[in-house]
Amino acid sequence: MPQKSQKLKLRRAQQRKEWKFSELIEDQKVRERWERVRKYFFLRESTYDMTNRCNIRCEGCYYYEGDKQFSRENKDLNAWRKLLKDEKARGITYVVLAGAEPSLVPELLEACFQEISLGAIATNGLKFIPESVNYKIHISVWGDDETSLKIRNAKNMLLRQIDNYKGDTRAVFVYTFTRDNIDQADKVIETLAGNGCKITFNMFSSPVGYKGRLRHTAASLEHTRETMTALLLNHPDTVLFSRYNATAHTHKSGLHALYNCSYPRVNPSNDIGLGRSFRQYRTDLTWNRDAACCVPDTDCVDCRHYAAGSAIVTARLFRHATNPDVFRSWLDYVDTYLSVWVVGYEKGLNLCSKTVLPPGVEA
Amino acid sequence: MLMENKIMGIGLRIAQIMIDELKLEDVTAETFNPDIDLVDEVGIDSMDLATVALVIRDEYGIRIDEDDYPKLITIRLIAEYIGGKLDEKSELIDD
Repeated sequence: MPQKSQKLKLRRAQQRKEWKFSELIEDQKVRERWERVRKYFFLRESTYDMTNRCNIRCEGCYYYEGDKQFSRENKDLNAWRKLLKDEKARGITYVVLAGAEPSLVPELLEACFQEISLGAIATNGLKFIPESVNYKIHISVWGDDETSLKIRNAKNMLLRQIDNYKGDTRAVFVYTFTRDNIDQADKVIETLAGNGCKITFNMFSSPVGYKGRLRHTAASLEHTRETMTALLLNHPDTVLFSRYNATAHTHKSGLHALYNCSYPRVNPSNDIGLGRSFRQYRTDLTWNRDAACCVPDTDCVDCRHYAAGSAIVTARLFRHATNPDVFRSWLDYVDTYLSVWVVGYEKGLNLCSKTVLPPGVEA
Repeated sequence: MLMENKIMGIGLRIAQIMIDELKLEDVTAETFNPDIDLVDEVGIDSMDLATVALVIRDEYGIRIDEDDYPKLITIRLIAEYIGGKLDEKSELIDD
């Protein structure tokens, strides 16, 4: 027993101590991870809606909310090339190609890749994207095939997605937890693991005004956190995630409340960071600062989206450099983000196995 | 004059931290223009500034608030900010 109380005293002393940054990176594994992730601090993203068409129609789809869905489609390859050249010139180094279904316009994807070589494509995975477009490919999964049929009106979705992307190192399956599909995740991840696929987790974040059955409650958030953590432990080679990801994305407060979202839509400053560089282009190649974030028309209060977190949590380096556990958790988060979003970046082992709360949040 | 020297000294140190941490090439602490716009002309982003802020915290024992980053767009402004914080700190100790 004395050993236990000694440990407790040590932990309390560590919590009180004001840690220097040099002390936080003293440990060799931590330092190596820090040096590895900081090489990617040059990434500056913008997002682009590629087409207003989709080959399925899902409940709660953010694209078919608001007026962006009515933008004219610009199919001119030269116009896209010019846009991407201009983007590069203003410092954009990373593109996210999304809405509505980018795989329907492969020639535009190719043109983008030729101009800016780092990026990701958000797709439903039903149509294969040519290998020549060497971006990360995020394939959305919203539950088992029965649920997909119900809310996405598509048959045998998972099987068709796996058929298209099995063994493809670009592919990351993104399981979006809704209030409805938490208990289906285990079976879906087992199927994906059996096929050697990689997966990460997303949280359903309601579009503005959505009050439907997919919106999370306090109970479903907690259940999701437990499920994510169990899946992470059971499938460490398949699941690209960390304990801190689970905590940050299932907290009762959304990402904006926890980390002060810095996307232009809620951040009027254009001095530095996302507020300065980020744009969200519509299919007609225009953009609107008031609507600019990674998932436009999402209800900011309910936003726990994986793409939002990848930018917002990652940017909060300073507030995570407070003690070894918090800093390691942040490194795990950034390591997860890079493995999900950057071609060729392999996820390392998570450095923190404890549950760490976001800075400023009381237990 | 003393004050100006103090800020210049801090400025030189900040320039060196930037060069070391951000692996800047073709510049020394002495040749680093203290008035160059770090965001527009050097291409520094919020993550770079956060990294520099952590090293400054270690060295000077002061905190640069995240909300203050947008104001700190030149070496001189950072040096003045640190100088001000150090003065506040010494006043508190004197009290």
